[in-house]
Amino acid sequence: MTSISQLATFGRSAAIQGRVIYALLMREVLTRYGRHNIGFLWLFVEPMLFTTGVTILWSLFKANHGSSLPIVAFALTGYSSVLLWRNMPNRCIGAIEPNLALMYHRNVRPIDIFAARLLLEAGGATISFITLCLFYIYIGWLEPPADVLTVVEGWLLIAWFGASLAMFLGALGEKTELVERFWHPVSYLMFPLSGAAFMVDALPSAAQKYILYVPMVNGVELIRKGYFGDQVRVHYDLTYLLGCCIVLTLLALSQVTAISREITPE
Amino acid sequence: MDIARVSTETDAKGFESGQHGKSHRTRAPAMIVNKIKNLRPVFLTTVVIPTLLAALYFGLLASDVYISESRFIVRSPDKPAPTGFGVLLKGASLAGAGEEIYAAQDYVASRDALQALNKDGAFTRAYGTTAVSFFDRFNAGGFHPTFEDLYKYYEKKVSVAHDTTSSIVTLTVRAFTPRDAQHFNEQLLEMAEATVNKLNDRGRQDLIRFASREVDDAKAKSQAAALALSAYRNQAGVVDPEKQATVQIQMISKLQDELIATRTQLLELRAFAPQNPQVEVLVTRARGLSGEIDEQLGLVAGSQKSLSSRAAQYQRLALESQFADKQLASAMTSLEEARNEARRKQAYVERIVQPNLPDDALEPRRLRGIISTFILGIVAWGVISMLIAGVLEHKD
Repeated sequence: MTSISQLATFGRSAAIQGRVIYALLMREVLTRYGRHNIGFLWLFVEPMLFTTGVTILWSLFKANHGSSLPIVAFALTGYSSVLLWRNMPNRCIGAIEPNLALMYHRNVRPIDIFAARLLLEAGGATISFITLCLFYIYIGWLEPPADVLTVVEGWLLIAWFGASLAMFLGALGEKTELVERFWHPVSYLMFPLSGAAFMVDALPSAAQKYILYVPMVNGVELIRKGYFGDQVRVHYDLTYLLGCCIVLTLLALSQVTAISREITPE
Repeated sequence: MDIARVSTETDAKGFESGQHGKSHRTRAPAMIVNKIKNLRPVFLTTVVIPTLLAALYFGLLASDVYISESRFIVRSPDKPAPTGFGVLLKGASLAGAGEEIYAAQDYVASRDALQALNKDGAFTRAYGTTAVSFFDRFNAGGFHPTFEDLYKYYEKKVSVAHDTTSSIVTLTVRAFTPRDAQHFNEQLLEMAEATVNKLNDRGRQDLIRFASREVDDAKAKSQAAALALSAYRNQAGVVDPEKQATVQIQMISKLQDELIATRTQLLELRAFAPQNPQVEVLVTRARGLSGEIDEQLGLVAGSQKSLSSRAAQYQRLALESQFADKQLASAMTSLEEARNEARRKQAYVERIVQPNLPDDALEPRRLRGIISTFILGIVAWGVISMLIAGVLEHKD
């Protein structure tokens, strides 16, 4: 039992993987955004524009919706979380194909490519969320969150869910391109169901029970709980969300392991 | 064993590698010992140890939990009925039942309710006895517990759920004996009722108090006006100038009739019998009559003490008195209305399901707890070992 040497091996491998992911990340940033105009700043300017647009649209439509909840905060927390879980699968499906040439190197594995893209997407969505929050707070459209830690918790859980979903779909997408065809309509259909545009408490309780089976809803509710504090009555099932994340991660990792054996580098 | 092996073996055997080891066909105990020796640390920490702990806790340590449940609704007659889509658009605004239901609900989940339950330590005694297992007991460490600690514990044992569509509130109390569960549930239900009743009484009293104060004001005003009017009547010596004037004028017209008749008679006498002694009488009468007419006319109008000069003041007072009377009448009506409203608006707690006395412990669901720990452990082990395998695929 030479556990120390095992740890050393593990540490060395982890370091290599870290370098690989970092390199892939940088490459991804450059190939995706280039160096012209604001370059990689598009990473979070893009989602920011999206969210701002949606926020303005919702503010106009629901200016007289009668709820006590500030509509800007409602739209921001809802739409940012949609961006978070929706963009990661978008980017991971078909991620292997353009990187096949890199697979020639032994240390570049499919999971690294996924990890790099996931980090990029999650980072972009997070930076855009934080920047928009700060900006809106600065111009007075928004109150600061009631409990930052709870917001972070909800955000991380949605990110975890999005990441495992993304890896799972990305790996499945290598086997059949049906995944790509189906994901787009499904992701749009999921948007109204994901809790971005409603509070669970406002639904009839018969519907509440079922809508909580959608994992994202639990995360969004958690974020809202953190953001609005006692202003809102939230419903979520943390155990269920965690269970979904863990099971999905297991499925994702097993699929990634499976495809990493089948891939033939060009 | 070395972790590097994990990578290749996980690839090869996938999920079911938990059981493998050197399959020596020796005696059973030795085989088990061997198997345990060969379990990898990751498997041990994610599956074996948690499952053993869960088995220990659920199998031996956890105390039986009895659940008492009651249901009630808070009835208030004029409740706005929300429609499905309207609610959806309304967002997080608290649509549905009246505020009484939330008051009752929030009261049950409040520190006040706990304080009332825990009067002379009843709650701490029920949940802190040594009969309850160490892990489930309140204040198991035996430190000085704060009230906030107790409240945190209380929040886990008592739950109030409000169904927005049917407005039914379900009150659930978990305790370690059936009697405690029922007892606390009953007590909480009574306190919730008391809260709603208090709110009600307050609202009703406010409504009626306001209306009756209004009536009192109007009464005082009307009395004052009536007094002022009668005082003026006494002082000025008139009852009703209008009517008095009518009588006076009638009298004047009679006098005038008589005067005209007298004058005609006088004219006739002077023409046919100037020497008649009646002439003197008629002249005197005519003079008397016209004097009387002047005097009476003076009483109605013109002179200082005439009725018309008093009428203005009298009119004002009479009007005031009439107005005050009308006000009093309307205040009385609104008081009556307020009383009716209060009677109608009364919200009250209606028990649908009485707190039950559980005859069996529904929690903890022991087998379920152990199995779910095991499954979760297996899944976590799968994730972690695959992650490790993924990392170890990177080599110099």
